[in-house]
Amino acid sequence: MKLSDIMSHAGLSFYTQVSLVLFLAVFIAVAIRTWLPSRRGELDTASRLPFDEGTVVAHTSHRER
Amino acid sequence: MTSAPSAVAPSAATLDRFSYDDDIVRKFLFATLIWGVVGMVVGLLIALQLANPIFNFNTSFLSFGRLRPLHTNAVVFAFAGNAFFTGCYYSTQRLLKARMYSDGLSKFHFWGWQAIILSAALTLPFGYTQAKEYAELEWPIDIAIVVVWVAFAVNFFATLIRRRERHIYVALWFYIASIVTVAILHIFNNLVVPAGLLKSYSIYAGVQDAFMQWWYGHNAVAFFLTTPFLGLMYYFMPKAAEGPVFSYKLSILHFWSLVFMYIWAGPHHLHYTALPEWAATVGMLFSVMLWAPSWGGMINGLLTLRGAWHKVAQDPTLKFFVVAITAYGMATFEGPMLSIKSVNALSHYTDWIIAHVHTGALGWNGFMTFGMAYWLLPRLFQTEIYSKRAVELHFWVSSVGIVLYVVAIYSAGVTQGLMWRAFDETGRLAYPDFVETVLKLMPMYWMRVVGGTFYIVGMFIFGWNVFKTWASRPARYDVPVIEAAPLTPRYVPDHPVIPAQGLWARFNQVEWHRSWERAPMLFTALTVLAVVVASLFEILPTFLIKSNVPTIASVKPYTPLELAGRDLYIAEGCFNCHSQMIRPFRYETERFGEYSKPGESVYEHPFLWGSRRIGPDLARQGGKYPDLWHVRHFEDPRAVTAKSIMPAYPHLSTTTLDFNGIQRRVDAMAMIGVPYGEALNRAPDMAREQARQIAAAIVEQGGPAGLEDKQMVAMVAYMQRLGRDIKVTPTSSSTPSSAASTPGAQP
Repeated sequence: MKLSDIMSHAGLSFYTQVSLVLFLAVFIAVAIRTWLPSRRGELDTASRLPFDEGTVVAHTSHRER
Repeated sequence: MTSAPSAVAPSAATLDRFSYDDDIVRKFLFATLIWGVVGMVVGLLIALQLANPIFNFNTSFLSFGRLRPLHTNAVVFAFAGNAFFTGCYYSTQRLLKARMYSDGLSKFHFWGWQAIILSAALTLPFGYTQAKEYAELEWPIDIAIVVVWVAFAVNFFATLIRRRERHIYVALWFYIASIVTVAILHIFNNLVVPAGLLKSYSIYAGVQDAFMQWWYGHNAVAFFLTTPFLGLMYYFMPKAAEGPVFSYKLSILHFWSLVFMYIWAGPHHLHYTALPEWAATVGMLFSVMLWAPSWGGMINGLLTLRGAWHKVAQDPTLKFFVVAITAYGMATFEGPMLSIKSVNALSHYTDWIIAHVHTGALGWNGFMTFGMAYWLLPRLFQTEIYSKRAVELHFWVSSVGIVLYVVAIYSAGVTQGLMWRAFDETGRLAYPDFVETVLKLMPMYWMRVVGGTFYIVGMFIFGWNVFKTWASRPARYDVPVIEAAPLTPRYVPDHPVIPAQGLWARFNQVEWHRSWERAPMLFTALTVLAVVVASLFEILPTFLIKSNVPTIASVKPYTPLELAGRDLYIAEGCFNCHSQMIRPFRYETERFGEYSKPGESVYEHPFLWGSRRIGPDLARQGGKYPDLWHVRHFEDPRAVTAKSIMPAYPHLSTTTLDFNGIQRRVDAMAMIGVPYGEALNRAPDMAREQARQIAAAIVEQGGPAGLEDKQMVAMVAYMQRLGRDIKVTPTSSSTPSSAASTPGAQP
């Protein structure tokens, strides 16, 4: 008996619905969390991250770590 | 769940000093430029070859079948790949306020990647290929790709761990998803059994190999050409527009919906093939759902210009970005549309798909790259761009090039698709001669050559401008020293937190989520989980549920000589123009014969169903013409079909076939489960015997003598075997669920 014999007769087809529900649930949770009113300020700050490259305190002309 | 309200941000006494490594960014920028020129020039050459076969120059190594994979590999992995690395190294360091973890790993990544591309250029033209689109490179190069990619990943994630900015900006999420998914895709699609240093067979066969390949192929588009460039868009678009992205929330949703949906979409490349219908339907549905996040992302990108639209007229970077994002919108509108089965019936195997990918590649990837490069030039070389007018010129020349290219090739695709399915009033094919449907495309093919030339001219202008800007760089680059606070090992809120009362209020306060945000590796693990689970749910059933691939008793493995011929077919890249998959439509079965069944390709390692019919389908080629017809046709296709655009293969008649090498190949096939029986002991002898018979038949038909030890006989043997097995005895299904193999169960 091969693995494919076992799997073919295991009646697994309803698992497709399980995966659908799992994925949808996680996705909805992500969406709700993103739109929580309390997160607005935090996400606004995050959206400005590309404009903060750190404070330049000195200049060198050679590379350093 | 909640934290003590007293703690505050670390004091200035603990600030770190560091600088960003822009040297690696400059290196990748130059590589992008050089490989872009190479990849596009090869693209122009193969465009010329389709317009007129004399551009194959009657050579083996410059023929279309061998150069087409070189073009795709060069533009995808070399041009777009290096472009992504350019932007990734620049933005990652700044978004994380950290220099890359290891300069050594950065350099190893750079030189390793270039060496891989070079090895592609040195193997593909000589016929070393795995025959799977965008995964053509042979197994030693595949291993090198894994090593270099792991070095890149280690360097990236170590930088992520040592970051000095708590929040991981959304662009980095896109980078993370790309890095891990590309690794998974690459490894699983390239599992092969070697049959020599530069020859291997996919461990999957037929339907399963096709499924695996297009799971890979579509996600290569998704996670090599889309998500990395979306990451670049979310960083460089706000930088160029000098304002934050339109909606950060939308960008989060954009990310998660792409990660959840993209991985399922692959089977839409296999509509109406021998793939089980349920799988194609899953692929179609997820593709259609992708409409929403893709357009959400496009709108998010474009609206980042709110209040800054007036800058577009002056700023060439923004011009490139606007066209790039618009092209993203057009390509991602078209993609879901093409995945709908009834549209796909027309578009599949035609130039429509070529036009679609070039909207994406030339418009989205190309223009994102150019826009980003022009924004980076003054910053990387610390001088003004040499010529702003040249940037303008580049923009317009390339834009015109894109329009000429895609309009021509859309027309070509729809024209040919409609001609294939046209019946006359007596119910017969209106264009029974395949070459008629090719000839019709010639004006469009020449227009593509013109459009492509425009785009390449733009590329040369770009290269000249980069070189001139680089030439006027300062004697020494100024390297700013940055100061930033390191992250504390444990989560400490940077503002006083008063624990909220009540469950909903505490949930809404999201302080509980803060410590999670400190765990980028957990985030990565969850992304991988989403990708792997989705992939397994979709692909495993064809491996494990038997009714998905009903076997056919009369289908037998290829003889050793036919296998050698098949390997030559692969080496010459014939699968780039000839499909071996007849769809169950009347206009296909009338033209090519009985439609293809899943059980017919159970010994096909790798599958050779093809994705484009520049020439006719070959699934039922066996026995259609005499052996001599094939000899004449390979030596000079135009001697047989005057208007054929197929390259000539005279070298097949002069090159000696390596009979002794066949044993190794048979053994490798046997290792992956092909029942070879007798051939395991005497494959070369069996091959010689069959070769003598075919050579004798050719002489009998009035052809040349002395072919019995040449590659030509192997190729003829393979051609004459194609699609004949189901004609041997009446088709019978050996599985209990025989309904799945009846025409009614087919799409």
